[in-house]
Amino acid sequence: MPITRIKLQHGKNSVANSGVQSKKSSCFLDVGVTQCTGGQPNRRKLLEEKRQSRLIDADGEQEIWSWGAGTDGQLGTGRLEDEILPQLLRIPSLSSGAVVSSVSCGGAHVIALTAGGGVLTWGRGNSGQLGLGDMVSSLEPKPVMGLEGCFITHVSAGWSHSGFVSDEGKVYSCGDGSFGQLGHGDFQSRCFPDELLFFSDKHVDQIACGMRHSLALVKGCCGAQVYGFGAGKRGQLGISKKIQSVNLPVLSSELEAAEIVGIAAAGDHSAALSTDGRLFTWGRGFRTNSDAFSPQYLPSPLSFRKVALGWNHALVLTDEGELYMLGGKHHGTLSDSEKLNATNSLPGATNEDNFRAVPAGGIKILDIAAGAEHSVVVTEDGAVKTWGWGEHGQLGLGDTCDHTNPQTVFLRHKLESADFDVKVYSGSGFTVAITTPHAAAKLTN
Amino acid sequence: MSYDDVEIEDMEWNEELQAFTYPCPCGDLFQITKEDLKLGEEIARCPSCSLYITVIYNMEDFLGDSDHKNNKGLQPSKQQPIVVA
Repeated sequence: MPITRIKLQHGKNSVANSGVQSKKSSCFLDVGVTQCTGGQPNRRKLLEEKRQSRLIDADGEQEIWSWGAGTDGQLGTGRLEDEILPQLLRIPSLSSGAVVSSVSCGGAHVIALTAGGGVLTWGRGNSGQLGLGDMVSSLEPKPVMGLEGCFITHVSAGWSHSGFVSDEGKVYSCGDGSFGQLGHGDFQSRCFPDELLFFSDKHVDQIACGMRHSLALVKGCCGAQVYGFGAGKRGQLGISKKIQSVNLPVLSSELEAAEIVGIAAAGDHSAALSTDGRLFTWGRGFRTNSDAFSPQYLPSPLSFRKVALGWNHALVLTDEGELYMLGGKHHGTLSDSEKLNATNSLPGATNEDNFRAVPAGGIKILDIAAGAEHSVVVTEDGAVKTWGWGEHGQLGLGDTCDHTNPQTVFLRHKLESADFDVKVYSGSGFTVAITTPHAAAKLTN
Repeated sequence: MSYDDVEIEDMEWNEELQAFTYPCPCGDLFQITKEDLKLGEEIARCPSCSLYITVIYNMEDFLGDSDHKNNKGLQPSKQQPIVVA
């Protein structure tokens, strides 16, 4: 799950911009209708027709695409099949014209956050991770009713659990709790989002769900704090000791001095970014088997604004739009020969966790996502590029081959960066891309 | 090549599958049965993809669980490794 150093890209801000006050998840922003009434009757009629099955907005449609492993319904296509090419989703439950502001993809489920603070989920639900009140999978996006009355601003999908944060700083979790990763003080699973009472007197800003652990970022008068709960054997909780598991949040004291603005978790890895662009990682090592039980600052002259974690690699994006990678001994990485050409070990980088530059042909990278063993980026010219493990079609290139160099994914129409805001998200073996016309993107950002 | 080495204590017993499981990066689960473990099998496979992991365990822990003919006089049945919690 990627994190970004830009605080609250969605939810609150978008509501403020559009003047919608309601905090009810059922009150989606009806951006399209509001802004389409000005002088284009034909266009409006067209959009009115299309909105029955699609998402719409002011200057066109937001489109949600998915591809890769689909045997648990995680692609949202209504089918239980892998897809080797991008599939355009139809989401009837969003027919009110809501815009999806962000998505988080887990082991085999997806959580979508709407600009109106509502939440939709789909995919594997056998542990209750969809929060829909049962333990069955859903092939289509469904609204999470258990969060009604909350304005959700941040979501995270782990291997088989889910986290939700509201604008009031409350945090909720559901799904598999066998390792304490739900943070409720027990090892029970839950099929409805349940509030973490531990944080009842704190303001939680973000939650990050990994394979069997979770992190929570708390913002308070005395700065930011990071808490960990769940499985901790590989050090992923960052609480400075080896512990099998904890079922209540424990403070990661080492990060208290750093001004943390973003957290990420995937596999047995954890990461955080500070306000000045420093990257911290802990948990399972990326290139060796050495585990870090407390957050490690990775020295670099670069300033990072986003990090995306896989199971054996991490992508990090600099403020300048340059992409670097950590680890990647398996599929998520470039080939050895490519690495040799691309390697730019940075001065000051540690031997163990060298940042390696990923060549992008001189084009800036705007967004990044990491699946368990594949990588996805959006370039400045609007292209979605993928590489890594491709066995389930998660690269979206029409085959099931691995690719060692970034390849361009064909999303039906040629995206023009001037018109579209493109965001990418990756689950373990699948990928989601959202193209939002800029007029709507302004609202979701 | 084995995707990973995983200790049996980090695997979860899945009643439905009647197998020990561990998350596979494809989204499915690596699986190995008690019978496999008794036979000394150390490879847990994913039914959905080509990946597999190496399971680290003591075979003795699984022998004697039933009337197993390969019981070499080692310690008889102890409790099964269970879900790590």
